[in-house]
Amino acid sequence: MTSDEALMLEFKGGSRAAFEELFARYHKPLYGFFARRLNNPERAEDLAQETFLAVIRAASRYEPRALVRTYLYGIALKLLAAERRKLLTSSTSGQSAPEPKTDGTPECVLWVQQAMEKLDAPEREILMLREYEQLSYSDIAELLRIPVNTVRSRLFRSRLALKSYLESDTKTNPALRARAGQPHPGRRGVQ
Amino acid sequence: MSTNRHPIEQEELMAYLDGELPPDQATEALSHLELCPECQTLAADFRRVSQELMAWEVESPEVGIPSEINAALGERLRKREAAKVSSPRLENRMMTNRWVWAGALAIVCVAVGLKLTLTSRNRNEDRSTAYPSMASIEQYLMPDRNAEIAMARSAAPAAISSDAKVLVLGWRGYETAIEGRNGFVCIVERSWMSPFNSAEFWNPKVRVPMCFNPAAARSILPLTIKRTEMVLAGLSKAQMIDSIKAGFDNKRLPLTEPGAMCYMMSRAGYLNDALGHFVPHLMFYFPLTEKSSWGADLPDSPVTLNPQFRDGPEPITEFVIAVGKWSDGTAAPVM
Repeated sequence: MTSDEALMLEFKGGSRAAFEELFARYHKPLYGFFARRLNNPERAEDLAQETFLAVIRAASRYEPRALVRTYLYGIALKLLAAERRKLLTSSTSGQSAPEPKTDGTPECVLWVQQAMEKLDAPEREILMLREYEQLSYSDIAELLRIPVNTVRSRLFRSRLALKSYLESDTKTNPALRARAGQPHPGRRGVQ
Repeated sequence: MSTNRHPIEQEELMAYLDGELPPDQATEALSHLELCPECQTLAADFRRVSQELMAWEVESPEVGIPSEINAALGERLRKREAAKVSSPRLENRMMTNRWVWAGALAIVCVAVGLKLTLTSRNRNEDRSTAYPSMASIEQYLMPDRNAEIAMARSAAPAAISSDAKVLVLGWRGYETAIEGRNGFVCIVERSWMSPFNSAEFWNPKVRVPMCFNPAAARSILPLTIKRTEMVLAGLSKAQMIDSIKAGFDNKRLPLTEPGAMCYMMSRAGYLNDALGHFVPHLMFYFPLTEKSSWGADLPDSPVTLNPQFRDGPEPITEFVIAVGKWSDGTAAPVM
């Protein structure tokens, strides 16, 4: 299997097939990145596409200094920050931001979302980059421009806090208590 | 938790589970974790939090490359082609200078000489230098989870694999992608399940689809899980060998169960650079056994001794029997 970095260099050299392969590998992960943070599927798709457009525009300047994965999420984080600024501006100017869509969202997902919302934003971001984007501590440190030790300590705090939130929710909600510890359909398990 | 009683901090334990500790600390963490119930509880808590988070799955729309991206892509590639066409004119002007020609000739001579030297050296090199150490983890992962599930299932005929549990490799080890109903477990093993002295122990291209029967799922699969955890934790080969030996000594690793076997009938696998896809076959596992007891490797015997665990820390003898069909029922080449 060709590495992402080799594909990126092939694309830089003019290969359409290399780009198509990168798109196939990263479209879903990037969509997931935006969807979890914005709770707006349409904007998530737009921003995932904008990430690839940015890759195309910057391809000639690409240097394999970091993993392509980190490079892509670096672009995605910048687009996310811009989107959040836009949402903030529109909400302060009287326009209401779109309500998160929860119709049909499984209870176990809402449970996780609500627990995540209780975390401090910087800690939540680190936790999400680790758990969902599966970036290494050093990749996260590079993206957020903070020391690796800070990543580790914030990740530790956020996981303990999340454990505590999830446990307290389980205690107060019998339906969740029944579910806790049982595998969710389709979820990835831990060996 | 007091550091007096625990040689590793809680934060370090978390980093170990994330595969983020350097090898020496990872060994210490693993040794302690195997013995400390309190840390095992904490590790289970961390795993449970990760597991809960995985409930938040995001369904992405199945899209091809959108027209806007296609247009931008086309434009970039056209510009690049145009730049390629124009650059030779510049080179032509430069090449009229005889000193440039002379310089280029000298460079070519040096390059050819260097290439010949390197080619000759490469031919003489042992293949072990091709994969001297672990590549980045990404190179061992399959980015498309569904592709890995399909490859794992291709190890056995659909009548078996469609009801089997399927594991896929993630950043922290193998994860259950699909629960099974028949006790079989399908998985795509990576290069580190080769013998420890194999030249391709770190070959990131290796993908070995296997489908373990229930006895092998209980007694052989844990070895795959164990080796994988240690690899992702950054342990050295020597540390892994010691840990496996200790695992059998203290009975934390299971002994081979009677009847343990697995299907390896996928045409999609890549066993190693020497064998490529190889041929479809079945593997049978035993506690250490003389190969003569199966007539393995004798002239015209269809049974061969597989070297996977030979001289390794796992007390297992493994026999291979080639079969005539791939898992999809199509005819396969004769071994």
